Amino acid sequence: MTAVTSSYPTTKVGELLREIPRTARSDMRVPVRIYADDELWRQIADDRSVEQLVNVATLPGVVGHVFGMPDIHEGYGFPVGGVAAMRESDGVISPGGVGYDINCGVRLLAAAMDLDEARPRLEAAVHDLSRSIPSGPGRNPRLDLSTADLDRVLEEGCGFLVERGLALPEDLERLEAGGALPGADASRVSGRAKQRGHDQLGTIGSGNHFVEVQVVDELFDDAAAEAYGLRRGQLTVLIHTGSRGLGHQVCTDYVRQMDQVMAQYGIRLPDRQLACAPLASPEGQAYLGAMCAAANFAWSNRQAITDAVRTVFGRAYGPSGRLRIVYDVAHNIAKLETHGAETLCVHRKGATRAFGPTHPETPGPYRAVGQPVFIPGSMGTASYVLAGTDAALGLSFGSTCHGAGRVMSRGEAKRSRTGAEVRRELEGRGIIVRCPSSGELAEEAPTAYKDVERVVDVVHRAGLARKVARLRPVGVVKG
Amino acid sequence: MPDPAVPVTGPAPPSPAHEIVDHVSEIRLRVRAGSLAELLAEAGRAVAQLQLRGADASRGTWRVIEVSAPDRAALLADWLNELIYLAEAERWVGAEFEVASAEDGRVRARVRGVLIERAPALLKAATLHGLRVDDVPGGLEGQVILDV
Repeated sequence: MTAVTSSYPTTKVGELLREIPRTARSDMRVPVRIYADDELWRQIADDRSVEQLVNVATLPGVVGHVFGMPDIHEGYGFPVGGVAAMRESDGVISPGGVGYDINCGVRLLAAAMDLDEARPRLEAAVHDLSRSIPSGPGRNPRLDLSTADLDRVLEEGCGFLVERGLALPEDLERLEAGGALPGADASRVSGRAKQRGHDQLGTIGSGNHFVEVQVVDELFDDAAAEAYGLRRGQLTVLIHTGSRGLGHQVCTDYVRQMDQVMAQYGIRLPDRQLACAPLASPEGQAYLGAMCAAANFAWSNRQAITDAVRTVFGRAYGPSGRLRIVYDVAHNIAKLETHGAETLCVHRKGATRAFGPTHPETPGPYRAVGQPVFIPGSMGTASYVLAGTDAALGLSFGSTCHGAGRVMSRGEAKRSRTGAEVRRELEGRGIIVRCPSSGELAEEAPTAYKDVERVVDVVHRAGLARKVARLRPVGVVKG
Repeated sequence: MPDPAVPVTGPAPPSPAHEIVDHVSEIRLRVRAGSLAELLAEAGRAVAQLQLRGADASRGTWRVIEVSAPDRAALLADWLNELIYLAEAERWVGAEFEVASAEDGRVRARVRGVLIERAPALLKAATLHGLRVDDVPGGLEGQVILDV
């Protein structure tokens, strides 16, 4: 991959914080701030993510700073790991600032039992998961939705799945936004998007998406762990996926539309993929309604997968296999939030909301400790449970990282290791692996990612979130 | 900052060609051809290669695909997004391309595609980031980043 090395003037304004001033480029409206230690900064400066943050800082109505999280890497338009907030009154909304996988996110389930109890039937259970949950380009014939039902998923989110028997009523209070964003408008989602997504509810997809069985390996914050219902040795399941083809098409449709109308609003951008429209414009409102609908589809997708995991665990372990949702967080989304006296449209692209104990949107059960945040590591490495902090509101619009962050292209990853080698290495560490393609296994090799422990350490030390627990993988079903 | 995708200089290649250039998280596709019609056909073949991954595509059915866009770079993205949509929504993966006409805002093509219940790989979208179709000696060079 071509090394770029950022040429923008950068000031270190704290041990873990660097700033690119507003004057670094004439079209910037706000400065850029990036959270990283020296090692992560070296990696960040070697791709185009800094330039992409600077481009985001040119968007109309952007306020405060544009932030880069420590897992940031080059994307398209927005970098992955970028946060930007625009005024509701005169700012824009950018489909490219959310990305194609609208509401890609992570859900953690906690089992009643510990790994020791689960181990004798674990391989069979992981195999059953791989057969029960379609992955890759797979569809889900058991959940082929009628147009009317798909519209209800889009507008009601997980609430509709309670009615369909795929969710428990108590699940809803442990989902970001209750698993349904207000303002979702199915009529703003194109027929093409619905055609791509109507039979994809309950599917993992491909790329870095997965369902992973894990064990709670270490606790860092006993009080928060207790509030989240986590204990050392406990079995957990982490689900990472998003809105599938439906969300991809919503983004395609609206990037195209906004690319064509931007000039009418006098908007000129350094990158066409940042295509945007004023939030208050007809195009902005249409995208917001469609994006919220796609976000609801994504929460429902993770809910349908949750139902499948519960069925598999029930088959394998009986009542001991029951699973409780700890929480579900989005990491590709734009949300209207109150920050100080203003309503802002906060774009988080590869970044996770991390509200602290006093924030009104932190769910009731977690008010004492802050909302849970889940940071999946690369395949085969540890994942982390963090707790949101009140300080993060002032540091990053209440945002933190979303994963380890890639450092190696997919092609480079495949050239450096074969899928068989990656599989042998994971199995050698006692991790059960199910993946439809060896090539995809190689693309997601741990060496293709940054060190998640370093990323999480920066987040913790910078005060963006605090460490609660480490989860070690014991079984992976890769998309 | 220099764009790593430096346009090719010198004589155009004798026949349409494409290459996949590394991008940290996505796929950067670069295509060269003597005309816009050839460029779009070659880009279609590249996407077919990515989605079929060697699966048998020797048979199939022909259909006519028409796409319009405000400029020729957007046409490249919209053309590929049409193929990506058909692959996922209709399980029909384009494999052979005869572009009848292509100008700066419109393409009309006959495409032979195969019905594949489970394509080996699907793409999310062709993005507008770094999107370009440039005149180069002897023809055109296009670049598009594909989200995977």
